[in-house]
Amino acid sequence: MNVTFPPLIALLLFPGGLFLLASGLVFEYVDRKFIARYQNRIGPRWFQPLADLVKLLAKEEVIPAGTIKGLFIALPIAALAAALTAGLNVPLFGFRPVFSYPGDLIGTLYLLSLMTLCIGLAGANTENRFSIVGATRALTQLFSYEAPFLLALLGPAIALGTWNIGEINQAAGMNLWFILSQPIGFLAALIGLMGKLELPPFDAPEAETEIVAGALTEYSGRGFALFRIGRDVELVIGLTLIASFYLGGFSSPLDFLWKTAVLLLITAALQSLFARLRIDQTVGLWWRVGAILLLVQMLVIIVGSSLAPFVSRLFGG
Amino acid sequence: MPRQKSERFIVPIGPQHPALKEPGHFEFTVEGEVVTNATARLGFVHRGMEKGAESRTWTQDLYLMERVCGICSHVHSMAFVLGVEKLANVQAPPRAQAIRELVAELERIHSHILWLGVAAHEGGFDTLFMFSWRDRETVMDLLETISGNRVNYSANVLGGVKVDINERQKDELLRGMDFLEERTRHYLKVVTEDDTFLGRTRNIGVMTFEEATRLGAIGPTGRASGLLRDVRMDSPYAGYPDFPIQIVTAKAGDLEARFVVRIKELFESYRLVREIVEKIPSGDLTTKIPRRIPEGETVSRVEAPRGELFYYIKSNGTDRPERVKVRTPSLCNCASVLTTAIGHKLADMPMILAGIDPCFSCNDRMVVLNGPAGQSLWDWEKLRQYGIEYYKK
Amino acid sequence: MNTQEALEKAEAILKDLALSFTCPEENRLDAVIKADDLKKAVEALLVTNRWGYLSALTGLDNPEYEVDEDTREKVAVEGKGSLEVLYHFAAGAAITTLRVSLPYDAAEIDSICDLVPAATLYEREAMELFGICFKGTPSTEHLVLPDCWPNGVYPLRKTFKGLNEKAQG
Repeated sequence: MNVTFPPLIALLLFPGGLFLLASGLVFEYVDRKFIARYQNRIGPRWFQPLADLVKLLAKEEVIPAGTIKGLFIALPIAALAAALTAGLNVPLFGFRPVFSYPGDLIGTLYLLSLMTLCIGLAGANTENRFSIVGATRALTQLFSYEAPFLLALLGPAIALGTWNIGEINQAAGMNLWFILSQPIGFLAALIGLMGKLELPPFDAPEAETEIVAGALTEYSGRGFALFRIGRDVELVIGLTLIASFYLGGFSSPLDFLWKTAVLLLITAALQSLFARLRIDQTVGLWWRVGAILLLVQMLVIIVGSSLAPFVSRLFGG
Repeated sequence: MPRQKSERFIVPIGPQHPALKEPGHFEFTVEGEVVTNATARLGFVHRGMEKGAESRTWTQDLYLMERVCGICSHVHSMAFVLGVEKLANVQAPPRAQAIRELVAELERIHSHILWLGVAAHEGGFDTLFMFSWRDRETVMDLLETISGNRVNYSANVLGGVKVDINERQKDELLRGMDFLEERTRHYLKVVTEDDTFLGRTRNIGVMTFEEATRLGAIGPTGRASGLLRDVRMDSPYAGYPDFPIQIVTAKAGDLEARFVVRIKELFESYRLVREIVEKIPSGDLTTKIPRRIPEGETVSRVEAPRGELFYYIKSNGTDRPERVKVRTPSLCNCASVLTTAIGHKLADMPMILAGIDPCFSCNDRMVVLNGPAGQSLWDWEKLRQYGIEYYKK
Repeated sequence: MNTQEALEKAEAILKDLALSFTCPEENRLDAVIKADDLKKAVEALLVTNRWGYLSALTGLDNPEYEVDEDTREKVAVEGKGSLEVLYHFAAGAAITTLRVSLPYDAAEIDSICDLVPAATLYEREAMELFGICFKGTPSTEHLVLPDCWPNGVYPLRKTFKGLNEKAQG
């Protein structure tokens, strides 16, 4: 839908800003509810994520000794800000991206990674052993999924010849859906997103039975709340990206709703199907299987798109 | 350059840690992700039960001993009761012995399924955790129908049992066993075929037969390494001479083998429960036992879900025991964890710890509140004040 | 190997070391040995002949009692009597117990941890609850009692009637 919002409204209310935050909470609820149902549990009530958030915001924030205080406070804010900024570049809720420039795909992906970097730094900033181990794992995981995730999203971009998210979104709906022509890319993107958000089975960086809460062990109150909501926002943005790239783009908010809901259903199933991977298993999976498959696919796309003119001339001419 | 002690990076697990539902303290020295040393510290829930037993009568001690452990309460009371009956030279009637075995096997089912869930949770496989605990409710309900309690069934009394089973309960037991057997088949398939799960269990925490012998591993932990040790078979007690078990062992000695052994023991328990329900002898439930137990000492061993439970009971001819010594299975297996942990990744620690099915409150049996201020007993107001002062600092 | 044979074999192994044998129950054999011979006995049983495994270690306090004039209760007398350590070995249904008696003023015994590594936890337990010193045991840290427990107070001795203000450090 090509509606243009006044900049201030787009930034603060809709589709960015407050509405994005709210939809993050909704997505978290749906995700939790799906997993609960898969696990034969009742699951949370609809306002539970909001209640959690409000509770955390109201709590005292304990700044532990031995940390750099400024960094400790700034990191969650930076993480949330980066996630919200990334939201401006993607076709949220089926509307045209608020802010768009050539090659904004790379910029958006960078902004999304900032979250993990902030979590890593937050862990390294404290003296807590669990945090340090968690931070090491978070950053190790970052290096394992980041390149394949990028390759996975580049697939449609290269095939369409544009690195602008808005244009990819529009063009994706006109061709054959990329989930059919690039199934490996779709899977890698979806699983990469789960790695990014540290969802099970890629939750080694915050595996509670080993290292309590990982890098965020020392965070409480406001800082923790910001990290959480930041992650929810990232879930919305990540699903938006994948749906618009691989599921034929959005032409209306209704499109957005059912496509992201389907993706959530799949991720929830993946989350409840597997046991947690050890960090070395995660790295091995991505580099030994994921990266190689994606490179092969990338090669096919490049060769295919450069051959396409000849082929069409052969048959069409 | 030799590494200084302070340079080592130690990851503490416990006494308060999400991986352990009970307070125990383990310290793992890690280099990167690899564990190079492990130590243990217990006693956070020591309750002084061995000392307390000396100042209570035999009957009171029965209830005290039942509360050594919340998961395997029946085996504790059974070990105590069997020991005291031996001292008093009294035999409980056959029906009582069969019911003792029945409750013990139901307890084993509940404990093993509980462990399956906890171990799956340690490995980050929450779906298996949720499903197995849902199914565990079946056996908890059965225990409740028989004894009226979900834990601390207090089925035993000195000289017999105080619960009986009727036709309706028999039906429920059989139906419950059918349901659980079907579910357990599914779980056996999951733990032996699921790839991500096998990635966390196969060849992890291996304890060879030789190591298991040297470290004195017992129970399912030892049997997973091929040790043929099961008190139910070695020295049958209660109803086990009439309803014998088949021992379940595995060769590999890794975490997968411990899963497989425990799950196969479940099938064995289902079979036993069915057999007892069908062929339970009729007759009395209790015999008379004297209030003062004749002088003497005895050793009573039973197979708890976690392994051999050892009771040493000494009587001085009065209505109170002279000494009751409890050696719980987890204490034996603790040593094996500390040894097998070395060389593994930190991520495997919770599962290796859980692999022996540790039960810390079993190990710890004493407490005296001994605060820095010097009082040995604090009332609520003092504790509160202490808390306030502590956090003001 | 049935129970009776196992016990006979254990008796044969320990014949030279034991001061006396008793059979309190049909599946048990008690051998009283001297503190100095303990390691030899354990080695002969477990290492040389592979007879069973160490099942448990029990500490006992056998004080002499006298009747208190006022309350008419039996009261343990400080310093009289002896401590006893029982090493229970199990093989199948057979249990062999090595009984070692120790005086209060020299409650020392060799650690068997180099022969049976699993004994370290049992020894630590007996050490802090009974005040028996195990020479050469690898760890002497607290196992079950709190870190701030006063030195020299052993709760499972019969003379222990609870901590009082004075005993606390």
